[in-house]
Amino acid sequence: MALGYNTITFNPDKCDGCGDCMRACSQAKAGTDDPVHSRIQILANETPSTGEQQSPIEMAMCRQCGDPKCVSNCPAAALSKDLSSGTIDWDSSKCVNCLLCTVGCAFGGITYNVEVGHVTKCDTCDGNPACVKVCPHGALEYNTSGSVYTRIGDKEDLFVPGLSACQGCNSELLIRHTLRNVGSNVVVATPPGCIPGMGTVGYNGKTGTKVPVFHPLLTNTASMLAGIKKQYNRVGRDVTMLALAGDGGVGDVGFQSLSGAAERNEQQLFMCVDNEGYMNTGMQSSGSTPAGSWTSTTPVGKEMQGKRTDAKNMARIMMMHNCEYVATASLSFMDDYYDKLDKALAASKRGFAYLHVYAPCPTGWRFPAAETIEVCRKQVESNFVTLWEFTPDQGLQFTRSVDKPAPLADYLKQIGKYRHLNQDQIDHLQRRVDNQVKSLKAFEQTSAVS
Amino acid sequence: MTTIEKAITPDIDDSHYQSKTLVCDGNEAAAWGVALARPDVMAIYPITPQSSLVEYLSQFVAEGIIDAELMNVEGEHSVMSALQGAALAGARTYTATCGPGLAFMFEPYIRTPGLRLPMVASLVTRDTLTPQCVWGGHQDAMLVKEAGWIQMYCETVQEVLDTTTMAFRIGEHPDVMLPVNVNSDGNYLSYGATGIQLPAAPLVDAFMGEKNVNWHAALDPERPMAIDPLTGGAGGPGPSMFANYRKSQCDGMQNALRVIEETHKDWGDRIGRYYSPLVEEYRLDDADYALVTIGSMTGAAKDAVDLARDQGEAVGIIKIKTFRPFPVEAINRALSKVKAIGVVDRSVNFGWNCGPVYQETLAAAQRLQRFLPSASFIGGLAGSDITVEHFSQVIEDTAQLLKGHHYDEPIWINRND
Amino acid sequence: MQHSKYLIIGSSHAALEAVAAIRMQDPDGSLTLITRDKHLPYSPTVLPYVVSGRSQPDNINLKDQAYFDLHAIEFIPGRKVEKIEPENHCVILDNGQQWQYDKLLLATGASPLIPPISGLDQTEFLVLRTLEDAIALRQASSQAKKAIVLGAGLVGMHGAENLAEAGLDVTVVEMQTQVLPGYFDPQAAGLIESAFSQHGVTMKMGHRAVRIEQQDNGCQVELENGETLEADLLLVSTGVKPVTDYCAGSGIETDQGILVDDHMATNQTDIWAAGDVTQAGDFYSNAQVVTGILPDAVEQGRIAGMAMSEDPCLKSYNGGIPINTYTFYGQQAISVGVSDLSTGTLADCSEVELSVDTDNGFFQKIIFKDNQLQGISGINAALDPGIMWQLILRRIDLADDKADFVAKPLETGRRLMSRTWR
Ligand SMILES: Cc1cc2nc3c(=O)[nH]c(=O)nc-3n(C[C@H](O)[C@H](O)[C@H](O)COP(=O)(O)OP(=O)(O)OC[C@H]3O[C@@H](n4cnc5c(N)ncnc54)[C@H](O)[C@@H]3O)c2cc1C
Repeated sequence: MALGYNTITFNPDKCDGCGDCMRACSQAKAGTDDPVHSRIQILANETPSTGEQQSPIEMAMCRQCGDPKCVSNCPAAALSKDLSSGTIDWDSSKCVNCLLCTVGCAFGGITYNVEVGHVTKCDTCDGNPACVKVCPHGALEYNTSGSVYTRIGDKEDLFVPGLSACQGCNSELLIRHTLRNVGSNVVVATPPGCIPGMGTVGYNGKTGTKVPVFHPLLTNTASMLAGIKKQYNRVGRDVTMLALAGDGGVGDVGFQSLSGAAERNEQQLFMCVDNEGYMNTGMQSSGSTPAGSWTSTTPVGKEMQGKRTDAKNMARIMMMHNCEYVATASLSFMDDYYDKLDKALAASKRGFAYLHVYAPCPTGWRFPAAETIEVCRKQVESNFVTLWEFTPDQGLQFTRSVDKPAPLADYLKQIGKYRHLNQDQIDHLQRRVDNQVKSLKAFEQTSAVS
Repeated sequence: MTTIEKAITPDIDDSHYQSKTLVCDGNEAAAWGVALARPDVMAIYPITPQSSLVEYLSQFVAEGIIDAELMNVEGEHSVMSALQGAALAGARTYTATCGPGLAFMFEPYIRTPGLRLPMVASLVTRDTLTPQCVWGGHQDAMLVKEAGWIQMYCETVQEVLDTTTMAFRIGEHPDVMLPVNVNSDGNYLSYGATGIQLPAAPLVDAFMGEKNVNWHAALDPERPMAIDPLTGGAGGPGPSMFANYRKSQCDGMQNALRVIEETHKDWGDRIGRYYSPLVEEYRLDDADYALVTIGSMTGAAKDAVDLARDQGEAVGIIKIKTFRPFPVEAINRALSKVKAIGVVDRSVNFGWNCGPVYQETLAAAQRLQRFLPSASFIGGLAGSDITVEHFSQVIEDTAQLLKGHHYDEPIWINRND
Repeated sequence: MQHSKYLIIGSSHAALEAVAAIRMQDPDGSLTLITRDKHLPYSPTVLPYVVSGRSQPDNINLKDQAYFDLHAIEFIPGRKVEKIEPENHCVILDNGQQWQYDKLLLATGASPLIPPISGLDQTEFLVLRTLEDAIALRQASSQAKKAIVLGAGLVGMHGAENLAEAGLDVTVVEMQTQVLPGYFDPQAAGLIESAFSQHGVTMKMGHRAVRIEQQDNGCQVELENGETLEADLLLVSTGVKPVTDYCAGSGIETDQGILVDDHMATNQTDIWAAGDVTQAGDFYSNAQVVTGILPDAVEQGRIAGMAMSEDPCLKSYNGGIPINTYTFYGQQAISVGVSDLSTGTLADCSEVELSVDTDNGFFQKIIFKDNQLQGISGINAALDPGIMWQLILRRIDLADDKADFVAKPLETGRRLMSRTWR
């Protein structure tokens, strides 16, 4: 029953109160700049009584609620939730101007406009909101993950219920979403790690997956898939090859076969689920473990304060293979993820597609299970990881702005494995983050030119 | 090339039932053997002395003689991995390797038998590092004798071709379902050119029959299943499941003894060339003692035995073709005819201070329930030649056993060459 | 005997909201809606607009048959509940049919209260609660010349405006000294009254009708002071009373309405009640009150539905707050919470911020207590009543924001809410 829809999101930290959105809305709805017509209200740059700058900036607009009280309160059936778009539609021919809808709304999202003599509310400009388009700071975004969930929710979950992942596991969420979207015409490879560890390939003759699935070695996922694909090509069948591999099976011991398959442009979708170490076997360090991290093989003691060397950036390495498609993704940005998954799937029909999904691990990184998605979000917002995609023709393009990042320290302090970091280590990581962004930006510019 | 190409086209025309004569070395012969078996997927990575074999394969693919997917992968590890994948999708698969390549392949290599995937991999045998060496020897193949692959050692270039083709049928037999190594000695067989007969393709096609390599396990959306879930542990159904998997793998290996014999017989009936499938007995019936040999060395050994026979020595040869599964009964049938043996190895068993064939032969012989005087000879390492002269010496040394002589140590051939 | 897991009596706001809440939690359990009304669900609140012609009777349905089909709901219109037998989990309809339920919701709303004025029972008069009433009133207004409206509550005021706009000569008779008592204080009420007067409506405040007589083509109304008024249309709008007649003998506890706890449960197992029919907790006191407003019917309906379907997110009813949004002659009057200290219990420790501009018809009154908003009412003052309601319900501490709030209640309210939601 519960349906998800596209929504306009507002990040007050990025808003400077410029009011462009309100002008754009007024223009779109009334052909004027007068903010009285704006259905998005950016609230008070200053406190009326003191004239002081208010921080953060607040916002009032229709949230297109799932159980809209404005609709329930309307005696005239003038308001209704459109089940396909999710917007709450207002029908002027039915409205009697009783204002009971405004009693139902706790957001200031439907309000009486004296100028026009009736209530007005955001209609998301039919899915192309004018306010979002003009926002110069990315404070307003049009988030499509809700509708994506609805679309994917209708598809069959191709893993069985009861996979035994840890509480709050990002990877289980990821693979369920992924396979739903990929569908059943697929062969799934899950090299040793958390994903088979949670029972996807199964135990003692029983399976955890409704589609063909297997354990490759930690070292040979890409090669095995390549062999399978060759045979299906030979017999003229179009079957998707999907690898769900951990960072060790990708960037460490699995790297040679991965690199070879990428070079040969084997038709497969290779997904790295990066939890920054060997979490399944007790949180040992991997090549993907960031400097300073506590792991069971880079402990914290008198002589060692976590991992001494930086992580390698596998996504960037794969980009250098000039694969058909390379992208990074985070589950806190599902619409972005799905977009990339679709592109990667399409690319995997032509050649090698690589998706690097950042997968914070509550058990191994030591943070509360309920905070997984929040940690994912902070990773991205601090630029600790960046969201981008690459194709040989387009080059590298960021899919989410890397400007105005949140301080890295905010991200680090959420996570137990960084608790011991001293200022030097934090500074080192911040420098590393800044440098990574700088060099990725250089790639972006190169692509823009060529 | 064109006439030979025609020989393996499926057109059924009387002339095509005629075999062709060609002059080639063992690596090319192996490639022809592969071509006749019509594989679907081949993955390759070059390594001396196998390289020319995969060059021939590539050439055959380039010229359309072999219609198969050819995967030029980045190393032997991926070679074996890709072939496993292909086999799980239903492909007939082939590769070749040796020495360090086999060592690098080892991780996926030891998994193929457990997956019960029929597959043929030629081992163009090579001695192992170190000392640094690129020449023939059996050390590589002997190191993997416990991995669960069927292993057959060839004596001649013709046998390389014939055995390579037969190996596919043996491995794919439903009672076997195991991968097969066709071993040909690096240098001696790989590069030794000779005239051979190329069987006519239609005859071989009839011999091979229907292809069905993965009826038991598949990665196929049309029959979804999980391949290789975690099995075993100390509780639940796991331990017995694991034991039963292993047992059935051993059963497949034992079934192979029969299937190898049947296949060689059928090959002989259809193609006209018969081989001793497990163990060849050479001038053994009236022998007092015998040499035990394996692989291409046997040619020189036979010459030496012929010479010794001329001089009245009652000596024969027991040649092992099938080393895995070890043909205990066939060996013992042969051993029971003699009073002493000298076993010649082209590799060593470090811990036992002898050759591995020697050790295995003695292990079989204990079932004869009588004392069999024996000597272990180690030679032909790193490409060195075990000549007729060397074998004459081996015969002489072995004859000493009949006089009550006893050797505490292996006798090293080529040490003074 | 028929059976339904969920049996809902009534098909208006409380009932429909309960249905939605149940279906969120239990998409399949059998659900039946029985209502005495013959139509698809509509709201009594829309009826003044049916009278005025702004709304067409066939265009006011809150739900249609497709909705019921989609959610597997059986909708039975035109059937009245006569009796309830809680011990048998059974409801008996006017046609004798018996319905067994697992869970029963009584959402029968209210009906017009007919005052005990001598002669009224022998006089032709109109009320406004059902679609039939509205159509009859519209019909009557097109033929009549002079109208008397008894009662200056919401229904009466709407009726008066409709009739005046239809060209009738209208007199409003109200026993109390102001219009819309309970929602606006006398000063604000005065502003509303004068708008009516300016539009030619005669406002007789503080007058009690003592006798009414049927005449040949109309009626005569005699007031306490002896004055008599004549009219050919009499609209009685002296308030409403919960519809609870069918509760008789059932053991369901009633007072003015059906008594419910803060999960809308009655004293009988598996029976809930919601909306105008209830007498539920008050927000400001420990009293049980009849509120009779639409937002409360919705709120109570949802709570009842959640309780019935055992929704784990069920929260207790916060207590009723008077809320009114009232549009008259193109002006807006809004009232949320306490509006008049003279009638309440807050007088001693409350703080009042008043701002009035009679010339421009502007009125704004804010009442705080302990830095919490208690009530806000306004005429032609921009307010978000939904936000004000939340500020009161959540007892949000306004100590730091009071000055801003008084200066700009709209913006400050929005800002406070935006912050609260984050
Ligand atoms: C003219 C008018 C104007 C109004 N304006 C406003 C306003 O501006 N703001 C505001 O907040 N409120 C207003 N109201 C009040 C508002 O309409 C009610 O509070 C609201 O409708 C209550 O909803 P409810 O579901 O509790 O009951 P109701 O709407 O009264 O519905 C009761 C339902 O029960 C059914 N029923 C009754 N008895 C039985 C029985 N025995 N068997 C079967 N079915 C039965 C009825 O058919 C009906 O479907 C107004 C009311 C009127 C009449």
